[in-house]
Amino acid sequence: MAKYLVLVRGSGMPSTLSPQEMQKVVQKYMSWAEDLRKAGPVVHGEKLRFGEGRVLRGNGGKMVVTDGPYAESKEIVGGFWLIEAGSYDEMLKLLASHPHLDGSGTLEVREVEDTSRRG
Amino acid sequence: MPPPEVSALVEHLFRHSAGQMVSRLACWLGAARLDLAEEAVQDALVRALSTWPFSGVPAEPRAWLFQVARNRALDLLRREASLRGKLEGLVEACGEPPLALAQTPALGDDELAMMFMCCHPSLPPPARVALTLKTVGGFSVEEIAAAFLAEPDAIAQRLVRAKHQIRDQAIAIEIPPESELGSRLESVLDVLYLLFNEGYSAHGGENLTRAELCGEAIRLAEILAESRATDLPVVHALLALMLLQASRLPARVDEAGDLLLLAEQDRGAWDRELIARGLRHLERAASGTAMTAYHVEAAIAATHAVAPDEASTDWGYVLQLYDDLLAIKPSPVVELNRAIALAMAEGLEAGIAAIGRIEADPALARYYLLPAALGRLWLETGDPKRAAQYYEEALARPCSAPERRFLERQLTKCRRPAPR
Repeated sequence: MAKYLVLVRGSGMPSTLSPQEMQKVVQKYMSWAEDLRKAGPVVHGEKLRFGEGRVLRGNGGKMVVTDGPYAESKEIVGGFWLIEAGSYDEMLKLLASHPHLDGSGTLEVREVEDTSRRG
Repeated sequence: MPPPEVSALVEHLFRHSAGQMVSRLACWLGAARLDLAEEAVQDALVRALSTWPFSGVPAEPRAWLFQVARNRALDLLRREASLRGKLEGLVEACGEPPLALAQTPALGDDELAMMFMCCHPSLPPPARVALTLKTVGGFSVEEIAAAFLAEPDAIAQRLVRAKHQIRDQAIAIEIPPESELGSRLESVLDVLYLLFNEGYSAHGGENLTRAELCGEAIRLAEILAESRATDLPVVHALLALMLLQASRLPARVDEAGDLLLLAEQDRGAWDRELIARGLRHLERAASGTAMTAYHVEAAIAATHAVAPDEASTDWGYVLQLYDDLLAIKPSPVVELNRAIALAMAEGLEAGIAAIGRIEADPALARYYLLPAALGRLWLETGDPKRAAQYYEEALARPCSAPERRFLERQLTKCRRPAPR
């Protein structure tokens, strides 16, 4: 089993929904997460706060701090999951039904390097 | 993050919480800041929408939502204060912000006060309906428009005008004093019954939002029935009427979504739980001396609800109730319904003759149910040719798609009578 980091980009959710429609969307995400949890491989997941953040850059030994990232909203990482799976193929299967993909959201999947298995 | 423990949210949690929170915040901030309360609540729901999928639903979702909405309202209030250069005073002038939502709807006096504001007699009736759905019901402008077959822009404008009027006339969010309670309550009940009928009648075609109007009207009537100030016989009578009518909703259409006559409905599909609740409220409605139209209509609905089939319905009693209803609320539509009961109680000819007396009433000139009723009675007397003429006339009057299909089905029966 390997760990995979899933970066959830863009909100994928318009804020003009009615309360009832919002609830339906939340419900969809919840049941996806529930199904995932039943399969047992979730390690961790968090939502990142929108609207603030700092970007630190090295500049010849001097740290430069800027507010941000103010990328296009669909580029912003809104949250992440750490999920255990056997392979990328398995991960793709798990994520295929992710409600974030119903809209125009993006999921980026990266395998976490397992240093103990190296060499 | 603890993995989400609660996977299913309470049904309509967002919508009902929205209504409760707007009511609670607007009671605190005053009717003039209704927009601010609505904005704060919308923001709180959006926060939940973007957070809960990752973090799971909090242990107390309503409390979580309210905390966020309340803090957001304070932020908005401070922003308004600083824009107007009145940093001092404005926030304090509103008094202490409320700490939490009432735990049970029975204590939901905020929603009650809000309903009285939304249904204030000085507002135009269509605005009362839209305001009630928007602020107490948590419906969006689009949903209200869909339910009333109106343009969203028109509904939005109606709401803006109503809010201006509330501000200009300083209409308060409060439960009216005893001296005004009767007439103010009447206006609230009218709105709820209108909501219910709009959802119940099929004349807008089939859409889900319309069906939800019935549920919402019942929910709001329950708040009235459970609150001390409005726990009155007339409230129980209306609630009983709506519950008993709603019990038939699942049986009212066939699998293809076509309307069924009372006689054709599978009574086994009637919702027994709703009938039981309706009968309980009808009992509580009988505690006073006043006999309102709601009482009589609920009694008619109850008579149908307890009858095992159409033939064994106590039509004599139904007829008597229609006489009572005519005495309280005379109308050609009630006359028509009475005539149908008469046909069932005393014979088809008596019913046909009674309809004949109101056939030319101009108020019924566009009412498809009049010729449809005659069509049915003539068909039963064994005169399909005459029945067909009336069904054709019914089809020439305005009616919805399901109603049209129903009439066409009847017409086919007249032309090809089923073998006996």
